[in-house]
Amino acid sequence: MNVPIEYFVLLSMALFSIGLFGILTRRNALMFLMSVEIMVNAANINLIAFALYHGNLTGQVFALFVMALAAAEVAIGLGIILVLYRNFRDVDVTVPTTMRW
Amino acid sequence: MEGLFDYAPAIALFPLAAFVIALAFGPKLPKKGAIPGIVATGGSLLLSLVMLAAVAGGEEGYYHETLFTWAAGDAAGEVGEGIEFTFGILIDPLAALMLVIVSLIAFLVHVFSLEYMNAEGETGLPRYYAGLGLFTFSMLAFVYADNLLMAFMFFELVGLCSFLLIGFWFRTRSAPSAAKKAFLVTRFGDYFFLIGVVAIAATFGTLQFAGDDSFVAAAETAIDDGGQLFGFDAETWVTITGLLVLGGVIGKSAQFPLHTWLPDAMEGPTTVSALIHAATMVAAGVYLVARMFGYYALSPTALAIIAFVGGFTALFAATMGVVKDDIKQVLAYSTISQYGYMMLGLGVGGYVAGVFHLMNHAFFKALLFLGAGAVIILMHHEQDMWKMGGLKNKAPVTYYTFLAGALALAGIIPFSGFWSKDEILYDALIVGTEQPLIMAAYAMGLLAVFFTGFYTFRMVFLTFHGEPRSDVAEDPHPVGWAVKFPLIALGVLAVVAGIANLAPVAKLTGLEIEFLNEWLSGGAEGTTYAAYTDALAAVYDTGYIGTESTTVLIAAGLSLLLAFSGAGLAWKLYNVPEPVAHKERLGSVRETIESNYYQDEYQVWLAEGLTLPLARAADRFDQTVIDGTVNGVSSVSLFGSDRVKRVQTGIVTNYAALIVTGFIALVIVLGVLGGWFL
Repeated sequence: MNVPIEYFVLLSMALFSIGLFGILTRRNALMFLMSVEIMVNAANINLIAFALYHGNLTGQVFALFVMALAAAEVAIGLGIILVLYRNFRDVDVTVPTTMRW
Repeated sequence: MEGLFDYAPAIALFPLAAFVIALAFGPKLPKKGAIPGIVATGGSLLLSLVMLAAVAGGEEGYYHETLFTWAAGDAAGEVGEGIEFTFGILIDPLAALMLVIVSLIAFLVHVFSLEYMNAEGETGLPRYYAGLGLFTFSMLAFVYADNLLMAFMFFELVGLCSFLLIGFWFRTRSAPSAAKKAFLVTRFGDYFFLIGVVAIAATFGTLQFAGDDSFVAAAETAIDDGGQLFGFDAETWVTITGLLVLGGVIGKSAQFPLHTWLPDAMEGPTTVSALIHAATMVAAGVYLVARMFGYYALSPTALAIIAFVGGFTALFAATMGVVKDDIKQVLAYSTISQYGYMMLGLGVGGYVAGVFHLMNHAFFKALLFLGAGAVIILMHHEQDMWKMGGLKNKAPVTYYTFLAGALALAGIIPFSGFWSKDEILYDALIVGTEQPLIMAAYAMGLLAVFFTGFYTFRMVFLTFHGEPRSDVAEDPHPVGWAVKFPLIALGVLAVVAGIANLAPVAKLTGLEIEFLNEWLSGGAEGTTYAAYTDALAAVYDTGYIGTESTTVLIAAGLSLLLAFSGAGLAWKLYNVPEPVAHKERLGSVRETIESNYYQDEYQVWLAEGLTLPLARAADRFDQTVIDGTVNGVSSVSLFGSDRVKRVQTGIVTNYAALIVTGFIALVIVLGVLGGWFL
């Protein structure tokens, strides 16, 4: 079984676009975090697909690192969201705009 | 002997210490700071006398030491390359003489103040004594400054002190205004002085008064080389810089047209007037000319201007003194007039005569001012001469010492003023026979002798002779030893100081009694009288009327005749039991003279009618054009940033959208440029 590289790229592109769409349209911080995770995984798929395509393991190793990083990011992100909720009684990202100019 | 010079800085530092003590502890001291002042100036006097002896007995005959270098150019040390700014001490015969004069007068003024200020229960005495101390310090440091910049700095400090002391009674209306006027008018002259200092420093790379690397020597070399300096002939440039420095001299020594501050300065305490007029502030100007006489001697034009301004001022001020009713005002105009004589003397190359008159004037003018101070004590602070009269028998010490000063001021033989004034006029005459301009200056100086005699004896007769014209004159307040001692000391000096240089007698009899002449012949190379004489030989031709002896006799006879006729006229008009004012007989001239030739009016007009609109226009230009440009730039950037900052909404989504849009735009641009879509 040999799936052509184009399908992987298409899948990755679709996931990335879904994540981007989520970031641009959602106001809920949790949705934001999920969208970011989807985009990170789109990149992961690309890394693994091209590693397979080139017969080179570096991409897969890199994907592992990205997953660890994503886990850390989720931890921090959830923490931020908790603080956000504590301060504003809300997780809407358009509410905390007080720190601009 | 040479080691004594190591103590030279202390001459000026003693009064500085007195200043600090009076300022810090004055209110707690028994005499409010008078004692430290007297001790300090007494110490300065003793040290100055020691210096005088050391200069007289030393091998070199002068002392020159750089104490402190506070800024040095890159190539300092190489002659004519880098400039070095230093503090140093130069004590040559001229400086030593002046140190003694200044510290002596300052000492006597301090003693006199014990009765004039302390006994009157004045408030603010610590401030007064601190001012006197700083004044004496500045003047002494100015006198032994070895370079022009140091001289300038202490020159300015002298001006500041005069401001502080003239405005001593700052709660009156007139004193602060007089102090401001003195400060501003002299500062106007000092402005030119500063430019002159910078010009000399920039041209010659040195500001030393004496020695091989002095600016005088550098200027001499430049003139001999015949080169160009700043696009001028070397000599023209020396004239220009010399005249710039002269601006400061004219301001400080109250020469026409910057003399207007001096009569107003009478608002200060009389003791301060004595100090200012005899030894410090006003003397500083003429002393500066004497100090850098070698420089002026290189420029005939500058010398002629000095002589002419001096001669004119001598006459101009003397005529104004004739109609004044306030005893201090008469003395103020006589001061202006006498400094005019010194300038005339220096301008015609009579270096010794000018310095001689500076010395004699210091003695007799300090005497007259302190005498006037004594009269003011006697009269319970009345200064109008028409309310005095008849003080002769009630205050004999004051009368006889004042009379000695008056005879010296009027130039009556054999009092000190005669010898020096006659020497100045003689020097002017022998040069004047060859040069019409100097002849005119001489004529004015000669005419001023008549007025001097007249106003001096008008003052003496109105004050001391006749019947008392007011109740206080009937019963004057007694004066104590602190008044009498300085008067007697100065009175003796005013009578005998002429012995220092009996030039006419020496010329007629051939005796070698020109002591001051010999004294000033010593000193650093290039600053001696002999060097000046050589330099002047190229500038002025001298001629005699007949022989030297007849010229001497004619000069002395003319000035004596005029002095006696002036004094005689005063005798006739005012030495009567009930003198009356004769001013009305002068008619319209009286008004002009009483208004001081409208000098104040035109200077106020210059300030208000000319300078003020100009300053307003400049201010408007500054506010609109200059500030407008700067403010415009800032408002454009403020306005722009106010718009641009709205991009930052604080909403993360917007940022993400911007990033994505930017990325897409970038890709499209790269794509178009890379030809992907073709």
